Amino acid sequence: MFYRRAGLRHTRYTQDRQLWPLPFDRFLLGLAIVLLVLAPAFLPSLYIGTYLMPWLLWTTATLGLNLLMGVAGQVHLGYGAVMAIGAYGALHATRSGVPFEFALLIGGLLSAAIGVVFGAAALRVKGLYLAISTLAMQYLVDYVIIHVPAISGGTQATLSAPPVRLLGFALTGDSAYYWFALAMCGLVTMFMLNVRRTSYGRALAAVREKDFAAEIIGVSTFRYKLSVFWVSSFIGGVAGTLFAFCYYKAVTPEQFHLELSIQMLATVIVGGMGSVLGSYFGAALILLAPVVLNNGLAGLAKGLSIPINADIAAHAPLVLYGGLIVGFLLFEPLGLAKIYANLRNYFLVWPFRHARR
Amino acid sequence: MKQNRRTFVRAAAAAAAVPVIPSAQAQDAKLIKLGMCQDFTVVYTFVTAEYSQGQRDYFTMINERGGIKGFKFQLDIVDTGNATQRGIEAYERFKREGVVLVDPLSTPVSRALVPRALADKINLVTTFSGRSDAADGEAFPYVMPLSPSYWSQAAVLVDYMRKQEKGLKGKKVALVHIDTPFGREPITLLQVLAKRHDFEFQTFPYPPPGTEQSAVWTQVRRLKPDWVMIWGAGAGQIASLKEAARNGIPMDRIASVVWMSESEMNVVGVDAAKGVLKFEGVAGGREPKIIQAIQNEVVAKGKGVGKPEIVGTTYYNIGVMAAALIAEGARLAIDKNPKGPITSEQLNEGLRSIKNFTAEGMLPPVTITKADHQGGGRGRVAQWDGKRWVPKSDWMAADQDVIWQMIRTSSSDFKKSGK
Repeated sequence: MFYRRAGLRHTRYTQDRQLWPLPFDRFLLGLAIVLLVLAPAFLPSLYIGTYLMPWLLWTTATLGLNLLMGVAGQVHLGYGAVMAIGAYGALHATRSGVPFEFALLIGGLLSAAIGVVFGAAALRVKGLYLAISTLAMQYLVDYVIIHVPAISGGTQATLSAPPVRLLGFALTGDSAYYWFALAMCGLVTMFMLNVRRTSYGRALAAVREKDFAAEIIGVSTFRYKLSVFWVSSFIGGVAGTLFAFCYYKAVTPEQFHLELSIQMLATVIVGGMGSVLGSYFGAALILLAPVVLNNGLAGLAKGLSIPINADIAAHAPLVLYGGLIVGFLLFEPLGLAKIYANLRNYFLVWPFRHARR
Repeated sequence: MKQNRRTFVRAAAAAAAVPVIPSAQAQDAKLIKLGMCQDFTVVYTFVTAEYSQGQRDYFTMINERGGIKGFKFQLDIVDTGNATQRGIEAYERFKREGVVLVDPLSTPVSRALVPRALADKINLVTTFSGRSDAADGEAFPYVMPLSPSYWSQAAVLVDYMRKQEKGLKGKKVALVHIDTPFGREPITLLQVLAKRHDFEFQTFPYPPPGTEQSAVWTQVRRLKPDWVMIWGAGAGQIASLKEAARNGIPMDRIASVVWMSESEMNVVGVDAAKGVLKFEGVAGGREPKIIQAIQNEVVAKGKGVGKPEIVGTTYYNIGVMAAALIAEGARLAIDKNPKGPITSEQLNEGLRSIKNFTAEGMLPPVTITKADHQGGGRGRVAQWDGKRWVPKSDWMAADQDVIWQMIRTSSSDFKKSGK
């Protein structure tokens, strides 16, 4: 009923191959885009600046990691370090007078260049072994940042990010930063949606499924493994730069520690490996659930006027949060994106229960 | 209140609406809102729990006494899990709710909040945490350390050693520290002091989280240092003392940063740790008048939060100290604006005019000015005697000239950055 498919005849290959062949999907997408673009008009700046914007930034980074993990099947436990390289690279570039647009590119390229060096480990090892070698990257980068005051910014190890000027315009207010983050996230999303339809994406899929089989059919694993680390690290570096300039505004090494890498990994897994929509869902759950649960529980206790012990008030949301992650993964191991796909499949034929899919 | 399904549904709806609908609360002219977004669950855990208990008990006492000229304090307590983004969220929500002062008690969170607090003109209290260079009130008008910085602490410890040895010439001082920005902070100062007082200085970093230090301490033993300074927090401090004991380094030659309390002693063993020294910025124990008052007026009446035996421990008293300084700042602000409401700027003005405040003898005289947010950098050295921390020196400040030089260098860097 909702997804009306009767009478839709794709008579050209381009029509058949479009990203969203069903009009209802296109409608939903359009609605989401309109809501996101207009959000600053109807949401107070608190929700723009501290909920939606970080969510978009986390999603951008997750998309980059998802390219590596979901599309190309390479584990990365040091994605936080990749983002740190981008953030510090771009910060130092702007501080020495480079315009922000170029600093963003410098951040991305620096991450890509260093990320690809560590990605070279993927040529020899895979799976858990690759996870450990990328973990080494995390520790090495952390170590270098902390031990070189020129990078971390002296004894206080804090660098403030200058305000962003974009194409001659200064970004002022939460909304401007939010729209900028939205645009960047949209850009990366479009890339991710389309990459799988290209020969490059198909080659990555072949590498993911079995790298030596890919080699046999003529896909150079050497080239593709390195290039996917390059691309993914580039996105990570850009995302890290956006974290620094749009959100944190003051960069310290702790922001890009192992915890962020693990958070990113969890986001990809909870959202759904290789799924673009899953990256959005995963980032929403992993990033926002602790805050929402915390506030919600406090609000509930206040509303019911239960005097709640501060210890319990602090720890109960964590228990719920853990429960949510485990619960979603037990319910659907393929992630939140798969839950959405199941719902969509149900409504595709609703109100009928069985139909040919 | 009787609870039936309807009230539950209503409360649940209200709870669901909390993160979505902007709360339009009427501003009470005689209510001062303070935002405490602290880490109860990840890194600072029991430190925060004890610190927060002290803060809350103190403000309960003030409110029970009828407030300051009718002005009462309301504390919003939120857990941030030491995560920067959660700290930012809490801060931005506090800002909407009209909070005039935020206390994150976390170095990473407070560092990330500095640019926001400066832009929004909201007081950011960073007791014994955060940036040392925030002592420069001209560069950081709204960042209030209100306590001796890590540099001042290191200087006081060195001064104590110098007095014990009657000159440190040719002596060996080792710094065993966690390898994070916090642990590395005293190094530059100690290098300068090593030149000034002519002692040999060597650093021994251990990797975070600091639970494994055995390799480091065998190296320390090889150096045969005359004094060892330990610079960590929580589990790292406990591991340091255990390893020191294993390597035969006498406890009364070990001096610690402020993060050392009764709780750590209980884990290391109250007798095993006998003799260890630490920096103290506020008197410990239950003897101070203020703590006695809290005992009688709050805890004895069952209005205290948390376990009563925590009252008077190190971190509890630090919490009381922070609360007392905030209340003193508020009192000065109220004196000037008796009608209220007290704005963030007025509170800032009040905090920056605190003069010779000792919290009835619990603190060294603290004077906070527009230029100096550290309050003089005074502290003392205390020693663990197996039962309690015994002060070994008077309140003192040392080598503040070097420290202020470093503060100015660092804060002028900050002023230049971010433009």
